[in-house]
Amino acid sequence: MPNPVIEVEKLVKKYGERVAVNEVSFSVQEGEIFGLLGPNGAGKTTTISILATLLPPDGGKVIIGGYDLAREANKIKPLIGFVPQELALYPTLSAWDNLAFFGRIYGLRGNVLKERIATALDMVGLRERAGDAVRTFSGGMKRRLNIAASLLHRPRILFLDEPTVGVDPQSRNFIFEHIERLKAEGMTIIYTTHYMEEAERLCDRVAIMDEGRILALDTPKGLIGLLGGGVIYVGIATEAIEMLLPAVRSLPHVRSASYQGGRLKVETSTARPALLELIELCNARDVPILSLEVLEPNLESVFLHLTGKRLRD
Amino acid sequence: MLNQILALAWKDLKIFFKDPGAVALIFLQPFMFIVVMSYALSGLFEPGKGQIQLLAVNQDRGTQAAAIIRQLDEMDAFQVETTWEGQPLTREMAENLIVKGKRNMALVFPPDFSEVLEQAPGATLRRTKVLVIVDPATSSQFVEPVLGTLQGLIERSIYTAMAPKGLDYLFEKLAPQTPVEQREAFKTQAQEAISGGLLGGKEPVVTLERTVPPGMRVEKYPNSFQQNVPGYTIYGIFWIVSLLAGSVLQEKREGTFRRLLVAPMSRGVMLAGKLLPYYIINLIQLAIMLGASSLLFRMSLGHSLAGLVAVSLAAAAAATGLGVLVAALARTEAQVGGLTVLLLLTMSALGGCFVPRFIMPNWLRTIGLITPHAWALEAYQDLLVRGYGLWEVLPKVGALTAFATAFFSIGVWRFRFE
Repeated sequence: MPNPVIEVEKLVKKYGERVAVNEVSFSVQEGEIFGLLGPNGAGKTTTISILATLLPPDGGKVIIGGYDLAREANKIKPLIGFVPQELALYPTLSAWDNLAFFGRIYGLRGNVLKERIATALDMVGLRERAGDAVRTFSGGMKRRLNIAASLLHRPRILFLDEPTVGVDPQSRNFIFEHIERLKAEGMTIIYTTHYMEEAERLCDRVAIMDEGRILALDTPKGLIGLLGGGVIYVGIATEAIEMLLPAVRSLPHVRSASYQGGRLKVETSTARPALLELIELCNARDVPILSLEVLEPNLESVFLHLTGKRLRD
Repeated sequence: MLNQILALAWKDLKIFFKDPGAVALIFLQPFMFIVVMSYALSGLFEPGKGQIQLLAVNQDRGTQAAAIIRQLDEMDAFQVETTWEGQPLTREMAENLIVKGKRNMALVFPPDFSEVLEQAPGATLRRTKVLVIVDPATSSQFVEPVLGTLQGLIERSIYTAMAPKGLDYLFEKLAPQTPVEQREAFKTQAQEAISGGLLGGKEPVVTLERTVPPGMRVEKYPNSFQQNVPGYTIYGIFWIVSLLAGSVLQEKREGTFRRLLVAPMSRGVMLAGKLLPYYIINLIQLAIMLGASSLLFRMSLGHSLAGLVAVSLAAAAAATGLGVLVAALARTEAQVGGLTVLLLLTMSALGGCFVPRFIMPNWLRTIGLITPHAWALEAYQDLLVRGYGLWEVLPKVGALTAFATAFFSIGVWRFRFE
């Protein structure tokens, strides 16, 4: 196991009375894609902004690349690249001029700068449009250029804050492939998103965040495993619940069952046979099923399972 | 349809009133402008207010000059000062007060003023001069009425002092036997004495000589461009505030600022880099305004290129410094617009860009000194109109640099990078 390149310990950030990040701790390994998954307002952007040296924390400790963020932010800056949620580009300048500007800010000059710009434009498929003003680009092209602008100085760690917001599926796939290529080159990537498919596809490990806290942290497979084979919510009359619960718990494919929000919440080892067993049981006991919802085992379901809320609520 | 119009209107009103800063500024801005301009121009519209202040140095050994000074002071339009801080005014004191910008005009009555007015007719005429020392930056709109009034008063004095003696003298000469042609000649002389009043024939016995305080190199009196170009140039260069603050806010909104903040550079470097292009734009603007006025309108640029460069560098620094301050204080683009207009119009008016400061009440003139506009305007007028050099404008360059430093320091201190 490689050494952690990022170590976060009890990180706290407050805006007045509101605690945006509440004692968050995690570590990221070199070469890993680490996802922060959660709905809007969960604290993902605040966390990534602190790690990218944009915001000072109110508590906790952050070590990046062996440097203490509180004291050595200037040593951390050259190691990192940051792709903000906004399209942080100059729309009236050409793609080339935008990249040249950001390259110069990182101290690149002359032929090295030209080569890096050309490589970056090739990488994001915008070589042909290098001379065009960014304002003439589609949303997807701007997103790709937004990423390219953070890679010119070849950072060791890349922070991507919701990089696919408002992007068409084709550009989204392009961005995914690009991120996978960067990982293959050994780059460490911190990725925030509220799209579970992105986290599942890209991330080695995912921290699920809500209301400033990390609720669970594991590989996508491990997190999905929390749900076992899936969760079934069965709506039945309240008076039937007492009678039905013990029987449900004893079904072969059921791991646990409880009463939650007016419904039976049934965690299963395998969803499909458990569903058949449940229906049979209700028929046998003459309990009408008022509603039925099956949560396939995925990160969206895990989030719902952990918080009682949907990711996009 | 009406519902839709109302819905659209209601939405925009709600958005507008949700930005209290912008709301305050939109109402405060015209109010401030009204207040400043009304006070500045109060002397032009309200009799007895905003009198033209004149210094009078009375060196006259007789009583004629004192009488004229008293008559001038009794007029609503003028306030004549013959002492300063309890001391009788001397010519040097008056010149100093003009050089320091405390007053604009001084009258110096010569020691032989009464003797010339009261001289006996018939002998060789003696002549004298009343010196009118004027700050060249004073527009002729204000100088000419003073000269005209003074001329009238002197003529009246001459008429009362000299004409009776002259007429007596003439009548002595007018014997009944005098030939017609001789009589006609005497009549002409009498008419001159009464209507022209100066008894000196073609050359008056008292002339007004306009001059400037020592040290000012004025080859000719400033034309309209020399009077107006500095004021409006300064007014113009400070609009860089809107451009600079707007650009900073745009970078914040579009996220490029966040991206730059992650880069390995200090926040001071980042702000300096942001400021520099606008500083350069300001300098180009100044060069074009002054250069074009010189080439197209033959406006004199004075005698000191080094002085012009120094003042321009300092004035542009103050303007861009103010831009950083506005960028730090404003939270929305509406606030940038409101704050810029409020500050620039108020400061320009107080600083004398629209209305010459010398016609403002003293208290407003003093308040005007808290604006960089007043210092920049004075510095440019020193160079363009008063003919001063670098050395003389250095204190004003220092004041402008202090404004720039204060604006920039407060701006950086209050700047919200996130």
